[in-house]
Amino acid sequence: MSLPELSLHGLERPDSLGSVCERLAERAARGEKTVLLAGGTDWFVERHVAPATDGSEAELVLDVSRLPELRGISASGDTLWIGAATTYLELRRHPVVAARVPLLPAMSKDVGAVQIQARGTLGGNLATASPAADGVGALAALDATVHLLSVRGPRSIAISDYFTGYKRSVRAADEVITGFTVQMPGEGSFQYWRKVGTRLAQAISKVALAGVAEVSDGQVTRLGLGMVSVAPTTAFLPTVRALALRRPLDRIADSALDAATQADVSPIDDVRSTGDYRRHVSGALVREFFRTLRSR
Amino acid sequence: MAEPGDRRSFMKKATGLLGLAAAPELALAAREAQTAPPPGLHDVALSVNGTKRTLRIDPRVTLLDALRERLDLTGAKKGCDHGACGACTVLVNGRRVNACLTLAVTCRGKEVLTIEGLAQGDTLHPVQQAFLEDDAFQCGFCTPGQILSAVACIREDRAGSDLEIREAMSGNLCRCGAYPNIVAAVKRARDAQAGRAQAGRK
Repeated sequence: MSLPELSLHGLERPDSLGSVCERLAERAARGEKTVLLAGGTDWFVERHVAPATDGSEAELVLDVSRLPELRGISASGDTLWIGAATTYLELRRHPVVAARVPLLPAMSKDVGAVQIQARGTLGGNLATASPAADGVGALAALDATVHLLSVRGPRSIAISDYFTGYKRSVRAADEVITGFTVQMPGEGSFQYWRKVGTRLAQAISKVALAGVAEVSDGQVTRLGLGMVSVAPTTAFLPTVRALALRRPLDRIADSALDAATQADVSPIDDVRSTGDYRRHVSGALVREFFRTLRSR
Repeated sequence: MAEPGDRRSFMKKATGLLGLAAAPELALAAREAQTAPPPGLHDVALSVNGTKRTLRIDPRVTLLDALRERLDLTGAKKGCDHGACGACTVLVNGRRVNACLTLAVTCRGKEVLTIEGLAQGDTLHPVQQAFLEDDAFQCGFCTPGQILSAVACIREDRAGSDLEIREAMSGNLCRCGAYPNIVAAVKRARDAQAGRAQAGRK
């Protein structure tokens, strides 16, 4: 793609989160489009695949990748804070994350090659609101809270309330995703990540499943699931969750799990896979999750 | 740095003919002149292979295009231009990135290392030497990216088992299929560097 084929855009690098919010507020009030750029691993490819051909509006790109307020990981008690501009490589190398939430490094390892892990961010993964986002699958399984900020103030919402449709969300044009909080699973919790794609990593998922479970006295006391690329948005599998939560593990039959999974997914045929194959894999992954959980 | 003659030729070009196709010397001279960039362009000072460079560029320019077309560093290759093949891999502040997915303006103040900056004069970097000894390439197109990736892989201490090397190098595709020799070269370079470090401690 040569330069003249790419639509024009300005670029600013605000030095504080406050100035990002002010800039977003001004532009949103005028109905102008602004792109918040973190790692750019999605944005670049989108521009190459679907460049603006009508010479439409010049966008402004705000580079938010260096803002200290959006960077970093910290733990306070059982709550983990992950800044939105935290990269996959940082997630893989954080000792608390590795010890308490191994799901996140496992997902980060498969999301793309090291070059992509060095630039891609968890916040960017959510911002594009693609159902194929591996990182969002993991956040869904962890029932993360999403933190947003604008000049109107901060707000926090459950990730299950974030999406409104395919690549659409409740995030307003003047809001920036600042980060996530996660209640870290307890010791002895079960965390699961399985990605099915054309390659082990370095390929967008055909289907992936992230799962978190805690079991006490044979009963499932915490259950979180996030499935990738099987619905217009990240799938939270509510029917499967309702079936299994607070139930004795040995009474959760595979046939019931299959029926629940199929009720929760609505996959389509696309360039990467078929709806039929995705339905098949969805059922297999949920069964594998529970089979592994039972056999621990 | 610029000779008086260069300065004169720059002034002539800048005042007269040359538009936005900023050659490096123009950008450098522009910085010296301390003029603000025209609207829509950005001055970006960065270190490339240990040398301070200043570029006056459009914000759409990727690091890969800046290296290849502005700085004449054509070692980093444009393969897929989508972040999938790794042929454009360079190190930014020591970390591997796909230069095709990186805007040059976001590299302000950063240190970029490309294949051209790896050897010390005529002495090859141990990874370059190992790629030669193990015949770790065929056509050579992916090799600059493979070598930069291998340098970081060893530095990050992720060059243990074959499996670990394969995973850490998985972002660099080789259409010729030289993978077994690439893994061998990474191990050879790792051992050579470890041996040297040990010798240094003695």
